[in-house]
Amino acid sequence: MTTVAELEAEATHARLLVLRMLRAGGSGHLGGALSCIDVITALYFRVLRTNPADPRWPGRDRFLLSAGHKAMAQYAVLARRGFFDASDLDSYGGLGSAFTGHPDMHKIPGVEANTGALGHGLPIACGMALGLRMDGRGGRVFTILGDGELPEGSNWEGASIAAHHRLDNLVAIVDINDLQISGRTADVMKMEPIADKFAAFGWSTISIDGNNMSQIVAALEQQPAPGQPTAILARTVKAKGLTELEDTAASHYWKPTAAQLLDAEAELHARLDSLGDLTGAHP
Amino acid sequence: MSAVREFVDPRKTLGQAITAIAEHDERIVVLSADSGNSSGFGPFKERYPDRYFEFGIQEHGTTGVASGLATTGRIPVFAAIAAFVTCRNFEAFRNDIAYMGQNVKVVGRNGGMTYSDLGPTHYSLEDYAIMRMLPGVVVLSPQDAGEIRAASRAMLAHDGPVYMRIGGPLIPDLFPEEPFTIGRGQLIRHGDRATVISTGPVTAATIDAVDSLRASGVAAELIGMPTVEPVDRDLIRDSALRTRRVITVEEHYVRGGLSAATAEAIADLGIPLNAIGLPHQHITTGTYPGLTERYGLDADALTRRLGELLS
Repeated sequence: MTTVAELEAEATHARLLVLRMLRAGGSGHLGGALSCIDVITALYFRVLRTNPADPRWPGRDRFLLSAGHKAMAQYAVLARRGFFDASDLDSYGGLGSAFTGHPDMHKIPGVEANTGALGHGLPIACGMALGLRMDGRGGRVFTILGDGELPEGSNWEGASIAAHHRLDNLVAIVDINDLQISGRTADVMKMEPIADKFAAFGWSTISIDGNNMSQIVAALEQQPAPGQPTAILARTVKAKGLTELEDTAASHYWKPTAAQLLDAEAELHARLDSLGDLTGAHP
Repeated sequence: MSAVREFVDPRKTLGQAITAIAEHDERIVVLSADSGNSSGFGPFKERYPDRYFEFGIQEHGTTGVASGLATTGRIPVFAAIAAFVTCRNFEAFRNDIAYMGQNVKVVGRNGGMTYSDLGPTHYSLEDYAIMRMLPGVVVLSPQDAGEIRAASRAMLAHDGPVYMRIGGPLIPDLFPEEPFTIGRGQLIRHGDRATVISTGPVTAATIDAVDSLRASGVAAELIGMPTVEPVDRDLIRDSALRTRRVITVEEHYVRGGLSAATAEAIADLGIPLNAIGLPHQHITTGTYPGLTERYGLDADALTRRLGELLS
């Protein structure tokens, strides 16, 4: 089993792959990718039943990124997990590349849904959870929502569906980085108290520091309450890991200069050194 | 006029057809947005309670669920009022079903202006147009009960997204039931003065109109086109090249639907086309026969209009 320390190093390697995509494509949704990348790393390296050699294995758990613009985080972790070669990411943003700003299930092994328009992931995840429950093989579904997408009403359609149909094989992680393109989420559209809202719909809720690997693992490994979907409210920091950009709306979509990229890479390499890099070389 | 016709409920016909097919295909599940019973799926719910899911009045969420279920190998059939499963949920249909290429069947019932007394919020006069704009989506509009049954079988055998529009009021049986091939139209009457192309239940009135004209010496060819997307391009072009005149009839705005699909099919031929359908305005309310008369879609009005066009 991948340890918490190893997961922390993996997440740092994944952050470096996000920078590699920015180097290739020139720009992208950095801030949200780095706020949720710790959760995605824990999912693929510790929680999900998955098989990189057979991405469509029917017995797999499902992960879909409702906040599809954070796709670089998923691409990076999928590459680290062996779904494809990290060098494939060098096509990021290029003409006809599979690796683009929002994920495509028909082009990228391991991607389960074509998200990007916000407010779509939770209803799709509910359908997957219903289908997997009919299969009777214990399949589970995990999805990450951004706090900025919560005003989309379809999320609350999904929230009611999951509770009414007692989808205890469904886990929604809300990546609460408190920022969206126009500023603080509380100023753009106040959705707090988010945990209370999910609880009122009938969900079981867990609140964690979403960049703290120990807390992430504990929450994801908690046994679900029978008959209830689980919402993990993950308080995160936008652009987590790159000190200059952390907690800034400007990091939402980042177009770095060459010098900024070098500085960012240096910071992550220093982080790897401090972690003792338990996971092997950067691919 | 045609012989006495038997009238049947299109929604019951749909529900019975899907329920019968579901007996041999366990992948089929039915989704309801408080719309299952009223779309003819009461018998399905009774017979297959574990394959019938209720979501209450929420079409976007239900469309997303349909997509997710399809990713697990189910074949979801989601039926509700046509306006609400095409307009209300359009982005979910576009992204979660069409773009994701999922094997989901959405049925819009009470299409057109059949909810005559309930008004424009409940009309569906742009559904052909918006659905046929989505790549890979088949759009069906069967013309009578046998065709609803046959189209249901074809829809469920087809691997990919399908939108099917049916009506609400009783409709006459027009044809002997035959296998349905998506993308094929049928030659209903031979003629040389014009090619009249019709889709959906308004084909019944169009047959009557074409037959009335024939009695007065004007023989128009009549093609039934129960697949609006993709239309039967070859059949349309072959007939148009013989008659050199095309007229479309549909209970839909005259923009974007069958008329547009037909125009696109013959655009290079230099053959004139007249579109009969609803004017591009918010349509008034009333009784359904009153509306079809007012907007020129009953047999008498169609007879007059075709006569004018072909005089």
